[in-house]
Amino acid sequence: MEIVIAIVQALLVLLLAPLISGMSRKIRAKMHTRQGPPLLQDYYDIGKLFKRQDVHTSDSSLIHRIMPPLYMGCMLVLAAGMPMVTRLCPVPLIGDMILIIYLLALPRFFFSLASVDSGASYSGIGGARELVLGVLVEPAMMLSLFVVALATGTTNVGDMGAAIASGNVTVIVAIVIAGIAFLCSVYVELGKLPFDLAEAEQELMEGPLSEYSGPSLGMLKMSMSMKQIIMVSWLCAVFIPWGSAATIAALPLLLGLVFWLVKIFVIFFIVSIVENLVARVRFKLAGHQTWAFVGIAAVALVFCLIGL
Amino acid sequence: MHMAIDSKLRTCETHVLAVQEKFPYQIKETQWVSEDQVCITVDGDSAPDIIAFLYYERGGWMPFMAGNDERQLNGHFALYYLLSMEEEDPGYIHVRVEVERETGEFKAVSPKVPAAVWSEREVQDMFGLKAVGIIDDRNLCLPDDWPMDVHPLRKDSMDYRYRPMPTRELEDYEFLKDTGDHETTTVPMGPLHITSDEPGHFRLYVEGENIIDADYRMFFVHRGMEKCAESRMNYDSVPFLAERICGICGFAHSTAYAQSIEAAQGIEVPLRAQVIRAIILETERLHSHLLNLGLVCHFSGFDTGFQHFFRVREQSMDLAEMLTGARKTYGLNLIGGVRRDILAEQKLETLKYLDNLAADAQRLVDELVSTPNFINRAKGIGILDPKVARDYSPVGPTVRGSGFARDVRWVHPFAGYKSIADKHEPITQDSCDVLGRTLVRIGEFTDSIHIIQELLETDLPEGPILNDRWTYVPHRYALAATEAPRGEDMHWSMIGDNQKCYRWRAKASTYSNWPVLRSMFRGNTLSDAALIVGSLDPCYSCTERVTVVDVKKNKEQTLTRQQLEDYCCDRRHSPLEI
Repeated sequence: MEIVIAIVQALLVLLLAPLISGMSRKIRAKMHTRQGPPLLQDYYDIGKLFKRQDVHTSDSSLIHRIMPPLYMGCMLVLAAGMPMVTRLCPVPLIGDMILIIYLLALPRFFFSLASVDSGASYSGIGGARELVLGVLVEPAMMLSLFVVALATGTTNVGDMGAAIASGNVTVIVAIVIAGIAFLCSVYVELGKLPFDLAEAEQELMEGPLSEYSGPSLGMLKMSMSMKQIIMVSWLCAVFIPWGSAATIAALPLLLGLVFWLVKIFVIFFIVSIVENLVARVRFKLAGHQTWAFVGIAAVALVFCLIGL
Repeated sequence: MHMAIDSKLRTCETHVLAVQEKFPYQIKETQWVSEDQVCITVDGDSAPDIIAFLYYERGGWMPFMAGNDERQLNGHFALYYLLSMEEEDPGYIHVRVEVERETGEFKAVSPKVPAAVWSEREVQDMFGLKAVGIIDDRNLCLPDDWPMDVHPLRKDSMDYRYRPMPTRELEDYEFLKDTGDHETTTVPMGPLHITSDEPGHFRLYVEGENIIDADYRMFFVHRGMEKCAESRMNYDSVPFLAERICGICGFAHSTAYAQSIEAAQGIEVPLRAQVIRAIILETERLHSHLLNLGLVCHFSGFDTGFQHFFRVREQSMDLAEMLTGARKTYGLNLIGGVRRDILAEQKLETLKYLDNLAADAQRLVDELVSTPNFINRAKGIGILDPKVARDYSPVGPTVRGSGFARDVRWVHPFAGYKSIADKHEPITQDSCDVLGRTLVRIGEFTDSIHIIQELLETDLPEGPILNDRWTYVPHRYALAATEAPRGEDMHWSMIGDNQKCYRWRAKASTYSNWPVLRSMFRGNTLSDAALIVGSLDPCYSCTERVTVVDVKKNKEQTLTRQQLEDYCCDRRHSPLEI
């Protein structure tokens, strides 16, 4: 049964990804006082991209070609293992936080490598920015999860969520602060304004994406949107686990699905509003913000150690 | 030669006397070409010193230098270094230098006054003259594959329809690079770049994200307008060509051209027409400044602001449409006046538009300034050092953002501005950065609204709007400047004995601003490059060719403007099907 849930989850994330990006396009348009594209536009776009020819620069090597499927593969594995509808991980083996962090780092590494590999100067700069941003945001993300791991005694994200939902933790203040730090770093990982530095349209002309076309570009767009759903689900699984199915039965599973959909749509709605209210952060100053997130996570650690 | 008849000094005479005293016997001839313009013909060897004296010691600025092929008139090439005297005794001085027709050599002014460098490079390209000692000897307007013995603006060189075959494949334009011992990579920006809708090529030398040095090249789509006006159009149809120099500040160009002819021929423009010109110029400023404020948002990634500024801007376009009959403020100027009056109901309508616009724009500006990280993006970015600005004579919000009060409207009041010049002064900021330039534009937007209100509320002067009773005198010349939204547009024109311009030199405002951009780039990061270019509010030109590549048939063809135009008109015989 669990393995079925895992496969269904992966497919669900795959199919929902264009809807989520279509929704943020629509909200963006409304805030611009524009009509905006239809809600399903991203499905049409990706469908069209898959019919197109796949063109790569003549200087690029295998890395540039295998990056999009590799990116998407990692996202499918993550989507299968992340607790979304259920409280516990459908596949406990891939629900370990260390593994998740590495599964996120792998596509990022190849993303940057492929950007440099494409030979275009803007792509290369975008790839370097992506890596730097990853390095900057990871400390806050890991530290805040370690606080939860300390408090719950496990590194499995499903078990963490279950412990928090059942109220089995004593250091509530620490968990709340760690949640804030984790929320901030998830926001950076979403790649939305003000942190869309790797693609920064006006600065780098979509950076690493500029050298992709056809199915590769379609796959990349899909995967990036899937990554956003996975990041938000991760936040929900650990810090807002209420409503998900604690047992494997029809009714709780259905309820869990509804709760999960409501949670991610609400979060994406708020995120879309925020991203349209700000200007892009200057790349050199991005570090100032991310260090603040690390600071928040460190505070959570202190609270956890003194048992608050 | 007109000399002052009575003891009262004429405009700019103090400057002429000062030159006479400092450089005795160097002025060969003095002539007032109009009320506030004097032309002094000086000896070629002392010209750089005289110009440097007027520029740095008498408060002069140099918009540009106009070359002229006067071999048919007096056997020489002539160069007119134009100086705008902005401190005591304001006015314009043309410093005329004659160049031998055989050698074509003259002593460059740019080592003494760097502001002359682009003009001198242009004269080298267009007239085949040689500026001895010029600080930058590269070609400016002509492309690398142009036959180097064809100099388009010489009267005997070519027909305006002539399109020479490319002479060579090589592109060897040398980009300047002064990066010291930094290890840099080159990041090209343009000719096609997402933030510039027009072609200009920037080469940024970066170390990581830091820009160490930069160089750029323009004139990819030089349209040959001056040649076209001189050989094809009558002098009185040139206003319609002049306004097509720019898609935004067209009216500023046609006004500058018309005023230069009016000044040279001594045509009295009716007061009512002058006020109408000022009102339209300010309308143009309203929509242009809203455009740039929107673009500043866009360049810093704040697209919501961009869209809202464009929404509000639509009202100013409607206003322009109501006043001129077209969104683009085109087709209104004639020599001696304007074609269209502002009627009583249009006046009321305008005032209503202004009230709405003022309220809406104020709300947006407040929002922009309170957007969390916008100020961070603009503050301290793209510093234009006042010293560099003084050397290169930039114009508009670019120079006013660095603390110089240069604004043609108030320094040399023209048209309808004369009546209100004592109530206004140039809006300046001292921060020298992108933020400063943006704040200048915000200030000027409000000021523009006030100007139109003042001009309309004190009632337009009654009377005709066109004066066509005047006598045509060939070979008189003059310059005229208007303050376009981006800065001073200046036109220098001389009409010939065949109802055509003998020479027309149009300088758009951005021409004066490009040379300082290099120093504004240095020391910033790649994130800010587009923002810095955008803060000049640059105007390039528009491209007119497109190449289509058919991948399946593996062939490519270049479409001409004519093909596209024909297809656009009759919608048949698609050029792609050939």
